[in-house]
Amino acid sequence: MSELAIDTATAACAVALRVNGQTFCHAPAPGRMLERPAHAKELLPAIEGLCSESRTDLAELSAIAVGIGPGAFTGLRIGVSTARAIATANGLGLVPVSSLETLVAGGGTERTVIAMIDARRNEIFYRVGEGPDSLATPAETLSLARDAVARGPVLAVGDGALKIREQLLEVGADVPPSDDDRHVVSGSVMLDIAASRTTLAPEGVTPNYIRAPDAKVSSRESWLVESGAK
Amino acid sequence: MSADMRTILAIETSCDDTCAAVVTEDGVVHSNLIASQMDHDRFGGVVPEVASRRHLELLDGVVGAALADADVSLAEVDAVAATRGPGLIGALLVGFSYAKALASTAGLPLVPVDHLQGHVSANFLHPSVFDPPFVCLVASGGHTFLARVEQRHGYEILGATTDDAAGEAFDKGARLLGLGYPGGAALDQLASTGDANAIDFPRTYVGDLDFSFSGIKTSLLYKLKALPDGDFESAKADLAASYQSAVVEMLVKRIEQAVQRTGIDRVAIGGGVAANSLLRRRVTELGVEVKVPPRSLCTDNAAMIGSAAFAISPLQPGQYSELDAYPSGSPIAV
Ligand SMILES: [Zn+2]
Repeated sequence: MSELAIDTATAACAVALRVNGQTFCHAPAPGRMLERPAHAKELLPAIEGLCSESRTDLAELSAIAVGIGPGAFTGLRIGVSTARAIATANGLGLVPVSSLETLVAGGGTERTVIAMIDARRNEIFYRVGEGPDSLATPAETLSLARDAVARGPVLAVGDGALKIREQLLEVGADVPPSDDDRHVVSGSVMLDIAASRTTLAPEGVTPNYIRAPDAKVSSRESWLVESGAK
Repeated sequence: MSADMRTILAIETSCDDTCAAVVTEDGVVHSNLIASQMDHDRFGGVVPEVASRRHLELLDGVVGAALADADVSLAEVDAVAATRGPGLIGALLVGFSYAKALASTAGLPLVPVDHLQGHVSANFLHPSVFDPPFVCLVASGGHTFLARVEQRHGYEILGATTDDAAGEAFDKGARLLGLGYPGGAALDQLASTGDANAIDFPRTYVGDLDFSFSGIKTSLLYKLKALPDGDFESAKADLAASYQSAVVEMLVKRIEQAVQRTGIDRVAIGGGVAANSLLRRRVTELGVEVKVPPRSLCTDNAAMIGSAAFAISPLQPGQYSELDAYPSGSPIAV
């Protein structure tokens, strides 16, 4: 039994490999979330590193889980594309797991956990406990946090929570310091979630983008728009 | 398929076509799948984020179909090749990440390929293999350059566009003439019904052997704006014919000069613009040996990436894990 989990929704490249119950993790320091993502360079070496550490053949996996976001689009696609290729070469399916759900689960069960992933452009992907994955402005997520605090203790995690940490503390939510592991998606927690989930055909697993693509045309056609010909 | 022949599975996702192919080192194309994304038409151009999303949706199916069409399994493949750049970075990373992970899992070597080298290497494929030396014009919606090709890997850039690509000049012209996007083929067709000498367009020659197409497209815009109301329909075909003729003349002139300069009287033409009927005709009139690969090998495709891969030493598992894609530049051009 060897199960692989990959998540690239944030700048932190999370990978875990569980071999006969023993879990090997590539867990970047929480500070990495605030840096530029480098999944193209980091993901495959991390996977291969865990394989050699655990003496597992990448071609002999028994299950693969992949984080489908929401998060930064290009990073998500690197993770999903990589997971699909490994699954296809193994003749396996894939288990999609919400990156926000993994963050919530990593926050424990004593408090209401709000997971937040920075969506840039002054927006935040968030999930309150077992609620749906959503997108809102920082002001909206703050008011959600305030409502949750009125009902009981609240823990906010994720790079989105770090972005508005001071305001979250002001409304009474607990936000661990930026070097706390709970801010990073955990591959090990993902594997726990994936264990009870349905496996899908690899091509059926796509990122949960939430946000529609920008209709910004690449340089090819920008001239027409500028010239007023369009 | 002969067992002692190296077989490559190639993947190309640099722009808006999701491509996979299986080729053998004798230049035989066993499969060449191209899933063209039609979603961009309504935007009037390629939207990078839309292209990247579609690549991810289409890639598994396209790769699976390329293997199935060639009747090979992944276990029978000797190496995986993939476009590393240049192109839209988000689009490149879908295919390149997939190729890296597929090769690593299957324990196969990976060959990272430069997209422009791919266009040059399309000439080494069946049905008509064209060997160096030759002068190569690659003109598409994304790139326009003229190269001197002396061996099967690497090339010397003799000239390149300083602004738009030739394919853009056609597409933008077509759009101004109300022919939709991408409208290169429609422009070609409309031009065949018009008079190429009816309207005067400027020919621009910049640098040594470089190209510039921004002047001619601005000229078309002004001519259209100056057109009296109601005259558009009757003038359309002549405008198309004259515009196309001017763009083609600029390309052919540079090819002619490159042949003179290098003393190599063999010419290959690639890229989507190679489908233009006037360009094909005018180049054959130069009196040199001309090779134009079939359309499926001229436009972006993965067979050309596989073809290029045979002349590049493959990276073994462990050597390519950290490789990133690159959006611009061409590190192998000399
Ligand atoms: Zn191209």
